[in-house]
Amino acid sequence: MNKTFNQKAWYFVIPVFVLVAFNAAVPLMTVVNYSFQETFGSNVFAWEGTRWFKEILHSERFHASLGRQAIFTFIILLIQLPLGIFIALTMPKKGWGVPVCLILMSMPLLIPWNVVGAMWNIFALPDIGFLGNSLNSIGFDYNFTQQSGDAWFTTVLMDVWHWTSLVVLLSYAGLNSIQPAYYQAAEIDGASRWDIFRYIELPKMKKVLTLAILLRFMDSFMIYTEPFVLTGGGPGNATNFLSLDLVKMALGQFDLGPAAAMSLIYFLIVLLICWIFYSLMMKNEART
Amino acid sequence: MIFTNLNASSWSNVGQPKEKGLFDFDFITWMAWTWPTASFFIFIALCISVMYFWEKKVPGGSPRKGILGLDTTRGDRLFVSLLGSAFIHLAWLGLVGSLLWIATIICVAYFVLVFKYV
Repeated sequence: MNKTFNQKAWYFVIPVFVLVAFNAAVPLMTVVNYSFQETFGSNVFAWEGTRWFKEILHSERFHASLGRQAIFTFIILLIQLPLGIFIALTMPKKGWGVPVCLILMSMPLLIPWNVVGAMWNIFALPDIGFLGNSLNSIGFDYNFTQQSGDAWFTTVLMDVWHWTSLVVLLSYAGLNSIQPAYYQAAEIDGASRWDIFRYIELPKMKKVLTLAILLRFMDSFMIYTEPFVLTGGGPGNATNFLSLDLVKMALGQFDLGPAAAMSLIYFLIVLLICWIFYSLMMKNEART
Repeated sequence: MIFTNLNASSWSNVGQPKEKGLFDFDFITWMAWTWPTASFFIFIALCISVMYFWEKKVPGGSPRKGILGLDTTRGDRLFVSLLGSAFIHLAWLGLVGSLLWIATIICVAYFVLVFKYV
């Protein structure tokens, strides 16, 4: 068969290239430029070398917010993955329940992030909010605006409410792609419910679960809007996650140089972890 | 007017006219280009160009299974080298703090190792 070798279709990609250049490459280059300089605005810059990087790497404040961020992401993954898988397992496989469950599950995902923050803020207010008021009336001393433990609890709860659905939907898709033959074979062998989960469902869901972990990691590691609206990083610095801290440094203090250095380090951490996940996924791909 | 004067770069002569440098064309001054950062990006661009011509010469990306047990092509190895170099430089800055060029030499060795074995 004679096939014409023609790569001209690649020219259609040019608009995307231009778009990406302006919304990713140019800002990223600017951040790199800023991270080596000091500025007081009006485009006046002075060269500082690697000073900001050294400062950030040794900064207690950066270590603290990075630590908070890591703990938050860890807690989120620890709760959302098992919970998501569990909900996906209990969801109906056929009948009228399927669309109902799917729509109910997609609902939190459709709400804009700042609205989620505002909703939970009002919901959790200790005096008038349903959650806050109820907790207080049954005897808990709950006030997320003043006690850091409560602020963490509310932030984690909000994120679980918002994002577990994503894990559910991905796991549900993974479960539905398992051929019935596997279950029949398991039934013949007299496998218990746990065995079916451990040796059929979990291995078959491996790919979607890696994807779910990757997505949930990235989103929660870069979370900004929801805690910004809910707690604003408070009380004190209790929920001051990395992205909140970054914005405070860049726009609050107008320390553009250190903030640029911090965002580059942040970016490199995210890039590294995503690359590790990607490699693991591809490794599985090659084996199966 | 395209060739407006720029603000100068120290407090004593703010608002004074300044001689234009190479990067001082107006719509780009906010990007705050400097030669060191520009040469960094020129280096990245060169790397990508080299990859292009290498691919022309030896097509297929020479895939293999490296010591990490990952299937890598040339592009993957470049990415691993660059990302690793960034972390080597950061680690050097954090732990040692001065003589950053030693970290750069380590990175060259790291590049070679990655392209040979990973």
